[in-house]
Amino acid sequence: MTDRVILACTVIVAVVYLYATTLIPSLEIGDPLGPKAFPRLLGVALLLAAAMLAREIWARRKAGTVDVPAAELFDPVITKILLCVVAWTAVYYAGFDPLGFIAATTIYLLGLMAWFNRGKWVTNFLTASLFSVGTYVLFVTLDVNLPKGILPWWG
Amino acid sequence: MDTMTHILNGFTVCLQPINLWYTFLGCFLGTIIGVLPGIGPTATIALLIPVTYGMNPTSALIMMCGIFYGARYGGSTTAILINAPGEASSVMTTLDGYQMAKKGRGGAALAISAVGSFIAGTLGVVGLTLFALPLTSMALKFGPAEYFTLMFFSMTAVSSLAGKSPAKAVISTVLGLMIATIGIDLQSGQPRYTMGVPELQDGVGLIVAVVGLFAIAEVFFSLEEITQGMRPEIIKLQGRLWMTMEEWKRSIMPIMRGGLVGFVIGVLPGAGGTIASILSYVWEKRISKNPEEFGTGAIEGVAGPEAANNADTAGALVPLLTLGIPGGGATAILLGAFIMYGIQPGPLLFQNRPDLVWGLIDSMYVGNVMLLILNLPLIGIFVRLLYIPAALLMPLILAISTIGVYAINGNPVELYFALLFGVMGFVFRKTDIPLAPMVLSIVLGPIMEQSFRQAMTISGGNPKIFVGSTICVVLVALSIFSIFLPFILDRLKKLNQGAKAEAA
Repeated sequence: MTDRVILACTVIVAVVYLYATTLIPSLEIGDPLGPKAFPRLLGVALLLAAAMLAREIWARRKAGTVDVPAAELFDPVITKILLCVVAWTAVYYAGFDPLGFIAATTIYLLGLMAWFNRGKWVTNFLTASLFSVGTYVLFVTLDVNLPKGILPWWG
Repeated sequence: MDTMTHILNGFTVCLQPINLWYTFLGCFLGTIIGVLPGIGPTATIALLIPVTYGMNPTSALIMMCGIFYGARYGGSTTAILINAPGEASSVMTTLDGYQMAKKGRGGAALAISAVGSFIAGTLGVVGLTLFALPLTSMALKFGPAEYFTLMFFSMTAVSSLAGKSPAKAVISTVLGLMIATIGIDLQSGQPRYTMGVPELQDGVGLIVAVVGLFAIAEVFFSLEEITQGMRPEIIKLQGRLWMTMEEWKRSIMPIMRGGLVGFVIGVLPGAGGTIASILSYVWEKRISKNPEEFGTGAIEGVAGPEAANNADTAGALVPLLTLGIPGGGATAILLGAFIMYGIQPGPLLFQNRPDLVWGLIDSMYVGNVMLLILNLPLIGIFVRLLYIPAALLMPLILAISTIGVYAINGNPVELYFALLFGVMGFVFRKTDIPLAPMVLSIVLGPIMEQSFRQAMTISGGNPKIFVGSTICVVLVALSIFSIFLPFILDRLKKLNQGAKAEAA
């Protein structure tokens, strides 16, 4: 099942990519191939790779090997938790500039640790705050520009 | 100036206090990330590139190479004490190293792993020193067509040996090349696949992709394991951290053989440290008088593979430095680092920047000595890292990844791209689509397209140019062989199984 989904996605990506290639404006002055030729080859190569995968799926079925079901690979409960992590990370990125590195990172880390390291509030708070302040100071010293946000007196 | 003078000058560069410090820092960081789960050398090097922008490129590259080979030393610690390889290349060390630890010989396993890594790592650097110049003189004959076919061979070799399914490896390679075509086409000035997003006009950043695919995806993987309640049992280090004379005698030849296998495999594109250690293990088991001991705590099963995966790192730098072609994920990101510092690895680098090349190569001799010291008396400190709860460590790695990506351009949009790559890397790993071919393609894609178009311009659009010289013909033949290699190996495996069944 999983490999058949990969196969379908690969074909879709190849077709969309080949279509998008036709939309590239062509200016072929001094360059006989233009900007489309190499991408066209890649689109065809991806279709060939899809054909290879189809052959592998067919050979496995012939040999009686069962494909791993998608539900086994992606446990629904764990997938939901990980999607929440992705969403929380996206919220962190949204607040990265306005809140600043220290405030945004401390809140973000506390959120993650509250779930994955449950009950250990003191450890979590100390780790999140010390890490945020420590890395900020370290990276600012190394001339890496991190947002100050709501804490303008830092840096 | 002859070669010997260059080598000696290299030592004057690498022995400067600042470069000694960066060699130490690289080796130290490498050992830590080798021990820690969740972040590998590829992602660490990518994260450090923006931090090192203001540094002297020689020092920065010395540090990054230190991380690359230092991680191989650290990877064995987790393999021996918790039966999980810190690095993929230490996978064979789990078989006998963990059994030795269970029998109270963990100290001996760690010691032989450090000593074997040192001997083979140093032998590997000697090989790199000897083979670098002959290869550069050959590489000077390369034109665009030769470079294109060389990169094509590198990609087919990586695809054929990465992962369980050749088709999925090819999909990963082609997707990487497609990602590399995003952005303004440098020859025509036309935007390609940017979908109106201004941040995509400069293309997808290598660091963004690597941090997402390797660091963020790996954290998701570890968080999944935490949720499932998977906690490895750490075996306490007992006794003296040294081996007996008997164990040393049993280990010395496997170390030498492992060093040879590792270096040769490292030079070839695609194979990498994991295959080198597997080959070394199989070799040792085949020639052993007591093959039944393998898997139950045979020291040869630790000495050989550990030597092999360390010699492999020096071997992997041969094609990178002499031809400018990486053979795997970590060397691909090293090439990315070179390019970002405005340095193009390849034959001309040995002529134009001998101080940098030989300083880098010679720093590996020094680095191996440092790693031996770090991994013998100080191993107890590194072992303590294993006790840091993953539930605390993984969120911190996500925050460090954020700094690494943000530091490139200070653009929050790139953070979302990295997150997207993280999700993609997680799904790819779960579905057995290898990531190394994709990273290699993202790095080589623009150079490959440029060589392709230059070659076609030279030939007036005639594709025969790609078989127009002996070098091209050999490389095309090797590429075709690489494409069919998985099928040949599969057929040989079936024939072997058939013969065994008949014999039974």
